[in-house]
Amino acid sequence: MVKLAVRNITRNLRRSLLCAFAIAVSAMAIVLLFALIDGMEADMRDNLVKYYTGEIRIRSSGYAEHERYRPLYQSLDYATITAVLDRMDEVAASSGRIEFPLSIYLGERSRPAVGLGLDFEREHAFSNLGTILTDGRLPTGGTNELLLGAALAKSLGTNIGERLTLLASTAAGSTNAMSFTVVGIVTPPIGALSASALYLDLERAQRLLHMEGQVQQIVVRAVSKAPLSPLAARIAADIFTTVGIEVESKTFSQINELFALFLTARLIYYAIALVFFILGSTVIINTTMMVIYERMAEIGMMKAMGMQDGEVRLLFLLEGAFISAVGALVGVLVALLIAYLLGKRGIDFTEAMSGVDMEISSVLYPRTNVRTSIGIYVYGVLIATLATLAPTRRAAKIQVVEALNYV
Amino acid sequence: MSRKFLILTLCLSVATLLPLMGATAQQIIAALDANTHFSTSHSTGFITTVDRFGTRTSTFEAWAKGEHTSLIAFTSGLERGQKILRTESSLYLYYPDADQVIRLQGAALRQSVLGSDLSYEDLTKEGNTLSSYQATLLGEERFDDVLCWVVKLEAKSKSSAYPTQTLWIDQEHTVVRKARYATSSGRGLKEMEVIETMEVNGRVVAKKSRVVDLLKKNSHTTMHIESLEIDLALSDAIFGLENLSW
Repeated sequence: MVKLAVRNITRNLRRSLLCAFAIAVSAMAIVLLFALIDGMEADMRDNLVKYYTGEIRIRSSGYAEHERYRPLYQSLDYATITAVLDRMDEVAASSGRIEFPLSIYLGERSRPAVGLGLDFEREHAFSNLGTILTDGRLPTGGTNELLLGAALAKSLGTNIGERLTLLASTAAGSTNAMSFTVVGIVTPPIGALSASALYLDLERAQRLLHMEGQVQQIVVRAVSKAPLSPLAARIAADIFTTVGIEVESKTFSQINELFALFLTARLIYYAIALVFFILGSTVIINTTMMVIYERMAEIGMMKAMGMQDGEVRLLFLLEGAFISAVGALVGVLVALLIAYLLGKRGIDFTEAMSGVDMEISSVLYPRTNVRTSIGIYVYGVLIATLATLAPTRRAAKIQVVEALNYV
Repeated sequence: MSRKFLILTLCLSVATLLPLMGATAQQIIAALDANTHFSTSHSTGFITTVDRFGTRTSTFEAWAKGEHTSLIAFTSGLERGQKILRTESSLYLYYPDADQVIRLQGAALRQSVLGSDLSYEDLTKEGNTLSSYQATLLGEERFDDVLCWVVKLEAKSKSSAYPTQTLWIDQEHTVVRKARYATSSGRGLKEMEVIETMEVNGRVVAKKSRVVDLLKKNSHTTMHIESLEIDLALSDAIFGLENLSW
């Protein structure tokens, strides 16, 4: 039966190749779509953990209620909370941060920006600004020095060594200003950070904002790859039982709605994949139906010689399965090659992403995933093979006498 | 002798009040400006703010010259050394840790000073009220047992911080006892009450006043003037930008 199916496929090779091509294109499109989505998901996760929330973010329990006002008075005692975290075996690293809006004054010019006060020593486990430093050096602790995002530096026309005055609202609602020397330029992968962020030593930010010893948030990295939610809950409980402070402790996926949406959106992508394969399968369905009419006399003859209805159906099903197996394999392999090359080079969305405030990098690197690719291959072959079931039923129902009339 | 003195005092009092008896809103406001604006002044005092952060007190020293020029220097707490210089066209902020003086304009003038219920404009604005507002006399009312004129001021320009003001003006001393600042639709923005007055060179001025920013929750600010000297000799150099860093 297998030999017969293979022989039938090669009888009209051009038509079989066309069917395989349709399946190949569908499989390729789906593998590339998933590679891009996997790349975006990994990129977003990486950016969130490094530059925004850590794997887990701890804030004062009252912060969220007034979040839109950035209530810096809802702060945490850095030394107290860090001491608790340092004692927890499941916590690999933690670092305090203060994120605050400010105005940069440079002579008569001024513009809004976002200040990030960071504990540079502990930040190695997170943003590790040294890796994105494109010019100059990191600020020295306890000095009025800062790093500027590359796009922000460009828009200000500022170079290393120049002085900037920062005006910000303090934790108690008054204002304060301090002048800083630009000692380095960083290029964060996220366009919004590059265009609006500046980084200064945590102690200097505390002084500017009148928050001595306090931080707005503490970001945490876990030791294991285990689910983070239980650890986030344990951190909050440990802090409360040890030092009696109520905190909000959340994982990055709980904080970032877009990332959570990404995860649920996978179901939608599977549905899209199904539609792609059904579209690709229409070519197989159409071809099989044509073949059945073309081979009506042949089917009648085989049935007259004793071939059962089920065997006729199986024959056509095998033909469809072989074509889709080859087509899907070629499609998946080509897609993996393209994804690999794009993964090395990256896809530059800088223009498209300009002005978009998302935690996704301007240059995206698609990620190939062997398990996903095998899944898509099996899924594709299955859908395409099942799609041939309908026309094969027609073949099985053909009456011998009726079929022989086609001779 | 004492009877003659009494009659003389009564005559003088009547003579003083006569110009404002049956006065129009414009005359009342002009008299108010004349009473509360000085050619120069020097004062010290403190601002106490009570809000969600607790109670904070900042002491200050202030100088003013003419209608548009003033300087306030904060002398205690975290804001020690900060200065606010108001000139006719601009408002400058000096911070001890900043290289440059920051110039505020437009809406920034309405920002809170030291997180209090007072804005930069509240603290520094002087000038001719009638040039900015249209005044209407609403009537008379007693406030804290003091007979007051109730005058409504409506801003002539949309750029005014307070589109409408309702003032309760002490008829005897021509000083504001209470004020309500609101939007043109009547929504309250701030309220001010004079708790205590003092007499300086024959003029009665506010010594202790309480301001409530109605847009903030559970917050009020009390401003105390501890000392006030008026019409004294002040050097122009005090109000120079280059001198802010002293």
